[in-house]
Amino acid sequence: MRIHKLSDTIASQIAAGEVVDRPVSVVKELIENAIDAGADEIRTDIRLAGKELIRVSDNGIGIPADELELAVSRHATSKLSRTDDLFDIKTLGFRGEALASIGSVSHLTIISKLDGVDAGARLSVDGGDNSTVSLVAAPTGTEILVEDLFYNVPARLKFLRKDITESRQITGLITRYAMAYPKIRWTLTQNNIVDFQSTGSGDRFEILQTLFGTQEAKSLMPISFKDRNLAIEGYISDLTLTRSNRKDITLFVNGRWVQDASLTAAVIRAYNTMLMVGRYPVAVLFLEIPTHLVDVNVHPSKAEVRFREQEDVFSGVQRAIRRGLLAYTPVPDLASLNLWGRTKPSDVGDMRFDNHWQAMETSTETEQVQKRLAGPASQQQTLPGTYLPLLRLVGQVASTYLIAEGPDGLYLIDQHAAHERVLFDQMMAQYHASMTPSQQLVEPLTVDLSPEKAGTLEENLEILVGLGFDIENFGANTFLIRAIPTIIDRGDPREAILSVVEAFEEDETPLLNEAQARIAARVCKRMAVKGGQSLSEAEQRNLLLNLEASQSPRTCPHGRPTMIHLSAGLLERQFGRRGAR
Amino acid sequence: MKVTVQQQQLAHGVNIVSRAVTSRSSLAVLSNILLKTDNGRLRLSATNLELGISAWIGAKVQEEGGLTVPGRTFVDMVSNLPNEEVTLTVDDRTQTLNVKCGTLNTDIKGISAEEFPPMPSPDLDNAIALNIENFKEQIQQVVFAASTDDSRPSLMGVHMTFDGNTLEMAATDGYRISIAKSEMAQKVPQNFEALVPARALAELSRIAVNGDESVYMTFPQGRGQVIFHMNDAELVSQLIEGSFPNYGAIIPPSFKTRTVLSTAQLLKACKQTEIIAREGSYIAKLDIQPEVDGEQSSLLEISARSEQTGSSEVMVDASVDGVPLLISFNIRYLREALEVIKTPTVSLETNAVHTPGMLRPVGDDHFSHIIMPINTAR
Ligand SMILES: Nc1ncnc2c1ncn2[C@@H]1O[C@H](COP(=O)(O)OP(=O)(O)O)[C@@H](O)[C@H]1O
Ligand SMILES: [Mg+2]
Repeated sequence: MRIHKLSDTIASQIAAGEVVDRPVSVVKELIENAIDAGADEIRTDIRLAGKELIRVSDNGIGIPADELELAVSRHATSKLSRTDDLFDIKTLGFRGEALASIGSVSHLTIISKLDGVDAGARLSVDGGDNSTVSLVAAPTGTEILVEDLFYNVPARLKFLRKDITESRQITGLITRYAMAYPKIRWTLTQNNIVDFQSTGSGDRFEILQTLFGTQEAKSLMPISFKDRNLAIEGYISDLTLTRSNRKDITLFVNGRWVQDASLTAAVIRAYNTMLMVGRYPVAVLFLEIPTHLVDVNVHPSKAEVRFREQEDVFSGVQRAIRRGLLAYTPVPDLASLNLWGRTKPSDVGDMRFDNHWQAMETSTETEQVQKRLAGPASQQQTLPGTYLPLLRLVGQVASTYLIAEGPDGLYLIDQHAAHERVLFDQMMAQYHASMTPSQQLVEPLTVDLSPEKAGTLEENLEILVGLGFDIENFGANTFLIRAIPTIIDRGDPREAILSVVEAFEEDETPLLNEAQARIAARVCKRMAVKGGQSLSEAEQRNLLLNLEASQSPRTCPHGRPTMIHLSAGLLERQFGRRGAR
Repeated sequence: MKVTVQQQQLAHGVNIVSRAVTSRSSLAVLSNILLKTDNGRLRLSATNLELGISAWIGAKVQEEGGLTVPGRTFVDMVSNLPNEEVTLTVDDRTQTLNVKCGTLNTDIKGISAEEFPPMPSPDLDNAIALNIENFKEQIQQVVFAASTDDSRPSLMGVHMTFDGNTLEMAATDGYRISIAKSEMAQKVPQNFEALVPARALAELSRIAVNGDESVYMTFPQGRGQVIFHMNDAELVSQLIEGSFPNYGAIIPPSFKTRTVLSTAQLLKACKQTEIIAREGSYIAKLDIQPEVDGEQSSLLEISARSEQTGSSEVMVDASVDGVPLLISFNIRYLREALEVIKTPTVSLETNAVHTPGMLRPVGDDHFSHIIMPINTAR
């Protein structure tokens, strides 16, 4: 179809809004165009997080010279004509708006050549004003250059995140599209360094390994599902690989990356009680649904979708995942995860046995987020210095709780939360005293990360060093741990590092002076003893002793309770020794 | 089954195998002990699938057969019997074990012997014979350095290298390495390596009584297991899969400073320091001071400080050959290594603040222990 202006009626039906708000959204529009153009090789070059240059070149069908002007005007597209088409969209683009929007906020240049035509054509747009089309030599396909993005909208520039964050988002975008379109050869460079590359072999797993690192990719299992109006392909994590947030649940619907809260929730629900509270699976799913059953025209960025038969889709997703989990996980393991005597303590994290607590934790999730935003420091102020009385250890129950007696009743202590608090206090005290001794490792440990995660770690390396880690970048996305804070005396040091990169995706812009506390809290949570680990009497005693020394012994650094106090009065009432008379 | 045994022997056998009984298993038979007649003796076995232990005791066998009975119950019962003859009779129909001893007559409900997981039997023709006394000492010199933390499973093992007629064993928790060597009476037909759970070796050295001369070690084909066979007992363990640190590369080829000390004095100093240091992640500073001509004789000063408890300093006489150095170590690691050193003097070799230190018994090159330092300044 030739590029043409959409009629006013259709134009007005298209979800309106500005699509170009940051470099990554420019890249998204450009690579979607390249995919729509049937390219099997797409190269993206980025300079200065996209602020200086974004260049996307493809070997697709190209744009005829006489249509270039139209391509950059508003509501001009070759992909949609009648109103009906809006409900039956097969291409990624359809709004005819992207190039026009980009042209109005940057120096845009398009060079394109059709197959079989001798010369290519070139058009530049400067802040909305077109130059004339000129003929140039060019390979078949299209190259689009976006220079000095937002040079004429300083307000936009001001709202951009740190360069490394913007760059990371671009990497995240390209790697995800590479997974969705594994037959396309993708190349991404940032500041002239190759950041990501795929072979175009069609093998998704190959790309997964780049994205998650070889170690983690091993825990991802392929699933495949087909129903009347729904086909699902993709990879899901087994129960050993989890995250503290939903960011690694990637969903594509009909080749389009969507960020849809309810579809994501459906994925999490499929894991139901198999994961601990606060842990989320990793999943990359590609849904194919007949186009007339999906509405992508919901949001200008096309990242949200609406399904005609929503329940069918959700239940299909859940069945597909359940089936995958059952096929790969031996059944006794699933059951034993809910038992007290769990087999793999390292897997249980902070799993709670008490249903009431579990319910409480999920229902007050927003509350917790708010608390978390307030940060550990302000938390402590609301719980003013309440030292514990001297406690007498009674013992450990279910390898998870300690029971202690105080002058005013009984204390039931969650060993994980309590240890988390103790470690955190020690780590922060050492940090503030600039006294952070670190134990060298016999053999440095390597951590392989995805480019996205490597970026996060790089950003926080200095803080980690300040907390007592000796860690350095060992080229590409590999890091070497040489020493760890001496207060961490158990667990796999690599886990401590992973907790940092996972955690930071959750809250990307912590206030600077809280950043160390936030990282320390994550590390301590991961390295603290878990529920389900039996402790020697000396270890139990030590934990109590240290908790008594803490200024805020009643909560862990994340604000969860470390203990339940059953006062003598309460016990008396409950046993009918008082009040019932 | 009907057998008569001596209470003392029975209690001994039950005690040995009870260490492999699991209390928290979904498989009921794993919390049981197997009793079975075996070539004129009574065999007792227990397994948790990772570790299996069998013991044989002398018995008058009147009728062959077997049964498994709940471990805890049986252990408690046997240890409370009078030291007399015990008659054990199995009623196959009701799967019940009748225990008669003195005036006592007890019935214990069991589970069929058929349900007990089969244990591999050793191929003694191709076994490696190890002198029990030496092997036990070697085990003791390394197991304490293995990790007890299951987040890094391969560090929970002891690495055994069979090379000609030497056996080298090494264990590490990621922060220190203990290495012990011994000579075997015979060469192994082929050099090889194995990673054996430290827990299994610790159990073995508990079971292996010095009455036996040798323990025979075999690796049943393709099962990923190791069997230790003794006259009256056998231990089977899963081997650990996974890679062990290449510790040879970590040992510095040479040292700048060699400090020789009295083992007992150094151990005592470490224990004193640890009382203070344990409040502060066990950090202790070692100040190694060579002799200064005419001013000061060489010595080692060990100190520790803790916010809560206070501070401690202790001097140990030493002959120091090399350069002065102030280096920090986890004092517990030092203490634990010294505890397995038998020679009267010990050497501590060092290079610099950020490089490992090595402890060795003076006059015995079968043992060495490497400790990674703690970095305190940045
Ligand atoms: N890389 C490309 N290869 C071929 N044609 C392209 C390419 N990029 C843009 N076009 C053409 O320019 C038109 C306008 O692009 P755009 O503004 O992104 O709107 P839309 O993609 O919604 O149609 C497209 O419809 C397409 O015909
Ligand atoms: Mg488009």
